[in-house]
Amino acid sequence: MNMLHSILYDLVYHSTPLILAVLGGLFAYQANVLNIGLEGMMLMGAFSSSLFVLLTGSLWQGILLSILCTLALGLVFSLFSVTLKSNFIITGFGINLFASAFSSFILKYMRLANINVSLVVDVPALKIHIPVLADIPILGSLLSGHTPITYLSLLLILVVHVVLYKTKLGVYVRVVGENEEAARAVGINSAKIKYLAILIGALFCALAGANLSTERMALFTSNMTAGRGFIAIAAIYCGKAVPVRTTLYAVLFGLAKSLAINLGLVAGPISGLFETVPYLAIVLVLFAVSAVETKNTRLRGFGHE
Amino acid sequence: MKRKMHLMSLLNVVIPVAAALAVGALVILAIGEDPLYTYKILIQRSLFTYRGFLKTLHFASPLILTGLAIAITFKANVFNMGVEGQAVLGAFFAGVVGFTVKGLAPGWHVLLCLLTGVVTGLLFALIPALLKAYFKVDEMVVTLMLNYVVMEVVKFLSQGVFRDPASGYVSTYAVAESAMFKKLFDTDLTAFFFLALGVFLVMLVVFMRSKLGYEITAIGRNPEFAEAAGMRVSRKIVIIMLISGAISGLAGAGFLMSEKYRFTLDFSGNPGLGWDGMLIALLGNHNPVGILIAAILYAALKTGSEYIGLFTSVPKDIVGVIQSVIILFLSVRFLAAHTALWERLQSLFTALRTARTSTGQRTDTP
Repeated sequence: MNMLHSILYDLVYHSTPLILAVLGGLFAYQANVLNIGLEGMMLMGAFSSSLFVLLTGSLWQGILLSILCTLALGLVFSLFSVTLKSNFIITGFGINLFASAFSSFILKYMRLANINVSLVVDVPALKIHIPVLADIPILGSLLSGHTPITYLSLLLILVVHVVLYKTKLGVYVRVVGENEEAARAVGINSAKIKYLAILIGALFCALAGANLSTERMALFTSNMTAGRGFIAIAAIYCGKAVPVRTTLYAVLFGLAKSLAINLGLVAGPISGLFETVPYLAIVLVLFAVSAVETKNTRLRGFGHE
Repeated sequence: MKRKMHLMSLLNVVIPVAAALAVGALVILAIGEDPLYTYKILIQRSLFTYRGFLKTLHFASPLILTGLAIAITFKANVFNMGVEGQAVLGAFFAGVVGFTVKGLAPGWHVLLCLLTGVVTGLLFALIPALLKAYFKVDEMVVTLMLNYVVMEVVKFLSQGVFRDPASGYVSTYAVAESAMFKKLFDTDLTAFFFLALGVFLVMLVVFMRSKLGYEITAIGRNPEFAEAAGMRVSRKIVIIMLISGAISGLAGAGFLMSEKYRFTLDFSGNPGLGWDGMLIALLGNHNPVGILIAAILYAALKTGSEYIGLFTSVPKDIVGVIQSVIILFLSVRFLAAHTALWERLQSLFTALRTARTSTGQRTDTP
């Protein structure tokens, strides 16, 4: 029972940064810009939030400044990929390497092994226990006792769905992605829409990063995002950037991570190998999705989507 | 016209490097250090001293290989991001063979270890290769995920069965002396550099003169057309990935046997041999000669960064920052081959040529 509780709780815990990353990343994907830089933006969010919390001594100021920092990184990505028409896969990798190198540079400069902000951020106090819900067996484990950004991310699933399908912005984003020429012909400023789509992604990644480091651990360590940005990209691929479907793939990874950690606890000496499970799970899921698709669209030749 | 092309591709490299050095200078200024002095140390120590230069060549050896490994796939528009993982895994198992097998003659032991690295890299590249070629699974995400799998597996193995208990940190046993590359001329240089040069020459022929090289370019331009023209694209993608994996494995194995001698968790460095290789492939424009030059220049940056720490208080991670900014700027081609200016020059040229051929025809007719 205790194990089931931890598995369910960790499921939501580990899904949160991924849900945020996929919800933000799918805008750019819908607008036909593959944002490989999600990883770097998330890392920048994780790094700058803890750095600014340390410097300002205030959680909310820190997160706000961190959002600005990550938006700046998103702006660089937009500038290169939209305005300067770069090869955006390579730009994205540049962004990732930059976030990683820049954060380790600053850590070395400050002579810190990691950024510990536990004096400012009281992690247990951030957890919200929902009165009645907490006592219901399974739902309580799933939904009670999480941090504010976690609840925000659950709310955002709905918000993103509405924005993408029920608002002008959402329609514009999808039209630009579908057919840029046509979008321009009817007077949509496609560059502006792409900038917006990328910046929404950066904003969400900033929150994902802040959740990952500052909010739930009060600690930043080098390269702590550990590939979550790419997992988000895999989830977006599999879910075809449809908000709810993509979120489900993100949760699937959260489940793999949660199972790996909780079963690893009882696995004894081989528990280290359980760390590979989430990554292998992504490969298997990608394989299954692609295998089904290739079977359904069996065409002559190579490269058909 | 060809000279103009060369000039343009040269400028397309010089502009990003200059921009990155400028950004790096700003960062160095921001922490209150002298950028010019830092850069002077960086360049002088790594390129203009005898020992420093040979050290640079030594560090360039694995980078030439990972650069080639990335280039061969990128040129075919296949994104093998797994070079890092393939190199690390190759190095790890080369190391295992290096300390478990005993009593072999030095030459044979070195050969056996290198071969282990090559085979490991090759087999590990087979997974994404088959998934990409026959099921169209996105190779980029798969190889990236497998990199993390490699990291966890080697961490598990080097903390467990292969851990050297005498070492103060997590590390495997050191390879036997018979599996080490010997230092040459009393410097850091080893025979591994010449091995890397050999692979470079082979790849030069493959890229420039072979049927496979032509097919790689064709697939990179348009896979559907290549398939329609009778190239078996799926099979070619597998072959390309396997070559890439084998070279990556060799890079890792050689680096272990010529520099590190034992596997530690920070073996590949930060950002890692594979990522350095990506920068080098991009700088060299996926051309072997370009890659050779870029690898040596980048190795100079790495060698120089060790001296930066000695002579200034700038953290050597500055090199990573510069590297990432170079990649960022390299993603944009500032002087594209199809600018308006270029178009005009071309039309002028064709006009001249048609004029000449038409006058030629006129003289032919009696």
